[in-house]
Amino acid sequence: MAEFKLPANSVLKIGKTYPAPEGARNIKIFKVYRYDPSNGENPSIDTFHVDMDNCGPMVLDALLKIKSDTDASVSLRRSCREGICGSCSMNIDGQNTLACTKAIDDIKGDVTVYPLPHQPVVKDLVSDLTNFYAQYASVEPWLKSDTPAPPDQERLQSVDDRKQLDGLYECIMCACCSTSCPSYWWNSDRFLGPAALLNAYRWISDSRDDATGERLDELEDPFKLYRCHTIMNCTNACPKDLNPAKAIASIKKLMVERKG
Amino acid sequence: MSIKDYKIIDHEYDVVIVGAGGAGLRATLGMATAGLSTACITKVFPTRSHTVAAQGGMSAALANMGEDNWKWHMYDTVKGSDWLGDQDAIEYMCREAIPAVIELEHYGVPFSRTEEGKIYQRPFGGMTTNYGEGTAQRTCAAADRTGHAILHTLYQQSLKHKAEFFIEYFATDLIMDDGVCRGVMAWDLATGDLHRFRGHEVVLATGGSGRTFFSATSAHTCTGDGNAMVLRAGLPLQDMEFVQFHPTGVYGAGVLITEGVRGEGGYLTNSEGERFMERYAPNAKDLASRDVVSRAMTKEINAGRGVGADKDHLYLNLQHLGPEVINERLPGIAESARIFSGVDVSKDPIPVLPTVHYNMGGIPTNYRGEVVTINGGDPDSVVPGLMAIGEAACVSVHGANRLGSNSLLDIVVFGRAAAIRAAEVIEPNTSHKLLDEAITSKLLERFDKIRYADGGTPTAVIRDKMQRTMQKHAAVFRTGETLQEGVDLMKDVFTSFADVGVTDRSMQWNTDLVETLELDNLLIQAQTIMAGANNREESRGGHAREDFTERDDENWMKHTLAWVNDKGEVNFDYRPVHMYTLTDDCEVIPPKKRVY
Amino acid sequence: MSNLRTPLSKAKGLGSAKTGTDHFIVQRITALALMPLVVWLCMSLAFLPDANYISVHLWLNSPFNAVLMIVTLIAGFYHGALGMQVIFEDYISSHSARIIAIIITNLLLFFFAVLGVFSVLKIAISG
Repeated sequence: MAEFKLPANSVLKIGKTYPAPEGARNIKIFKVYRYDPSNGENPSIDTFHVDMDNCGPMVLDALLKIKSDTDASVSLRRSCREGICGSCSMNIDGQNTLACTKAIDDIKGDVTVYPLPHQPVVKDLVSDLTNFYAQYASVEPWLKSDTPAPPDQERLQSVDDRKQLDGLYECIMCACCSTSCPSYWWNSDRFLGPAALLNAYRWISDSRDDATGERLDELEDPFKLYRCHTIMNCTNACPKDLNPAKAIASIKKLMVERKG
Repeated sequence: MSIKDYKIIDHEYDVVIVGAGGAGLRATLGMATAGLSTACITKVFPTRSHTVAAQGGMSAALANMGEDNWKWHMYDTVKGSDWLGDQDAIEYMCREAIPAVIELEHYGVPFSRTEEGKIYQRPFGGMTTNYGEGTAQRTCAAADRTGHAILHTLYQQSLKHKAEFFIEYFATDLIMDDGVCRGVMAWDLATGDLHRFRGHEVVLATGGSGRTFFSATSAHTCTGDGNAMVLRAGLPLQDMEFVQFHPTGVYGAGVLITEGVRGEGGYLTNSEGERFMERYAPNAKDLASRDVVSRAMTKEINAGRGVGADKDHLYLNLQHLGPEVINERLPGIAESARIFSGVDVSKDPIPVLPTVHYNMGGIPTNYRGEVVTINGGDPDSVVPGLMAIGEAACVSVHGANRLGSNSLLDIVVFGRAAAIRAAEVIEPNTSHKLLDEAITSKLLERFDKIRYADGGTPTAVIRDKMQRTMQKHAAVFRTGETLQEGVDLMKDVFTSFADVGVTDRSMQWNTDLVETLELDNLLIQAQTIMAGANNREESRGGHAREDFTERDDENWMKHTLAWVNDKGEVNFDYRPVHMYTLTDDCEVIPPKKRVY
Repeated sequence: MSNLRTPLSKAKGLGSAKTGTDHFIVQRITALALMPLVVWLCMSLAFLPDANYISVHLWLNSPFNAVLMIVTLIAGFYHGALGMQVIFEDYISSHSARIIAIIITNLLLFFFAVLGVFSVLKIAISG
């Protein structure tokens, strides 16, 4: 059966509490998921009191401040800090999003920071996305065309055809969508998840691609595609305001269309 | 823990590429398809490399939107470089730009389109027609997410061609054996294992070191690891004093706002609402090259015409462009402005400030991507087994100042050039020479020393000191006095690293250790930037001295080479600028006064 | 299950079953059909003169009502079987348990569907 309870070694414990520096008046509490693979202990929640008068506006700023000032061992992925690289995806205040574009002011009360749900945790906020990446690769997300490209010139594409890719090609592979999807939680071994399906549809929609039928063939499967029950968590979670649910619905529509 | 206790996992490849940004991926793809066994090591998942943040576009004289010619592009690039660029390499880049962008389109990059269905091109700073006369529309764009589009497409092509990646591996040092590069050491963050990669060529595609400064458009991961490895290997970096300040970083956050905004018709204003660029660059106005605009902005702010409570920034206006242009061509900018400065770009201007953006300098290479150094009397002596591409390299096509949209071009053209060269010089699957274990031991010792560093100063404290010193003393305008002060202060910061403390001793995803290794890398590069700026007594491109306000071609039309010893002391030598072209198809562009 | 398979091999799994679309279509068609049918059934039962065996018997005696009732039963049980299959596929991860659950459910629902249809026919035909 799908597991509805945490396995024994994943049950959360209460961790350490770090007070704010003396004299801090504007304090926000951050509850951060901690897990260290090297000590064999269960994960825990550490509580950090952060002085907001000396902190940037985003959750990532606070996490990096914690790392700089309080506990350097907190591990997380981060890079561009402007919402385009997709590194710092995590579960903040109960929602999957990017720490670098999530404003602390938008969160009422304490800020809970967890890794992405239902993925193996490597350390602290770093989750193992191997399967997610492999699923992306499995949809063969590259241009397939048997028509030779013109030798000294670009393939032509109309403005309207190019518009079909808007809302699809911008995916940053942060995994916020897939890991927010209950269907993906229960069946991530077989359901491709919203991110991979969105990327599949990105190529299905590309007027330069010749392999639409082949791509649909590969997706037509009760698990790979039809585990999507239009729950819409993916669209709610996407920090880039993309609509994976719509992309999946469009794939299903094409599946029906080609039946006759 | 003794260094003997580290288990080393060995790998042998024909080529080892370090870095999976645009340059690294293009090289990986080229080498893998050429039949070389290829490993690409990267500290972040490929699509998270900083190429992803490039917005405006990639220049190439396709002439899709009006008359154009690669020779005009070459002229603009030489002029933009303030005649410090090597003209053979610039010729190569501008000529190869056209097939390079076509190739990217064939790979599937979702470029924006013209009405005829061709690649859309926008105007960009310093890009002109007919040797400076008109404005060229030369920058190929995928809305304002061109870097994202290119990087993802290159990764997809790498998947298609089954290139071999080692993802989230942190490269620590080059394996140098008697002046020859034999491979690279790397640390697998996920498992904590150490790996020794042997390659007939090691290609450094590790990007720039924007994080030496406090406020930069660069990602947290832009720590110039390859540059530092080269310095530690006893090789020099070139022209590191040339740091580009991008005119439009979001005030406060430092996030990039593309020059494409001005390309599409946006403009800068001061507190009086004046379009001040008209005074500084009567022809090109807001589309003058970046060093010119950044200096003009700094002058405006210094003259008290800044905006905001502290009068310390300026406005970038795009309200007049209308929602259609913004939605179709600048959607990412609208999003960034909303998130990072709370501005609705259709109603209000974006508060901006010149922000550190790009290192023109880096590892000296020739136009084939091979690393060069001075050897005896030969200023172009190739270092066997070592290549460098992208922002890590200094070919030098950007000279003293890079033109916007020439960096996406640089990475693709020279990534490809490196692949072509590697295929020429390497016989696939030739065996590797035996390696003296002492070489590896020395590298392990350094790693182990930092891992167990138990000094009293946290990494973050030293990093903060470095970044603030660099920001203050190596700013847009520099003078001898503040630079000398900067050199002295940076020496102290460098020395303080001996007292660094790492709190996490583990090997799996120990980001405390990663950041400390990165800090070590940044510190050594920061020395070359500060000392190089102090050393170069002229103003050229991105290096503006208030005590030497003019370009001095007689004494300084030469590349700085900087070596750093383990005490942080910098030694200089010089390489001549290549004032010759690669072919007879074009002529050398002689130096003249640079006006926009 | 071996954990040493490559991630790509795991992601590709057994490949595509090239099925699922018919299930998707039929589930939606039966749902659409059931909307008016359920309304009809509720209304008809609500407007019966009184709620006893004889009036239901009389009502089902009409060919129109009997046919609609059979259609409702078939659509309902078919839709139910498809829905139960989805639920089992979602929540039961063991392949054998899932298949057994689906087969048993399908057989039961098939039995009830046949029972229902036969009962209606019996009333309608034998009066």
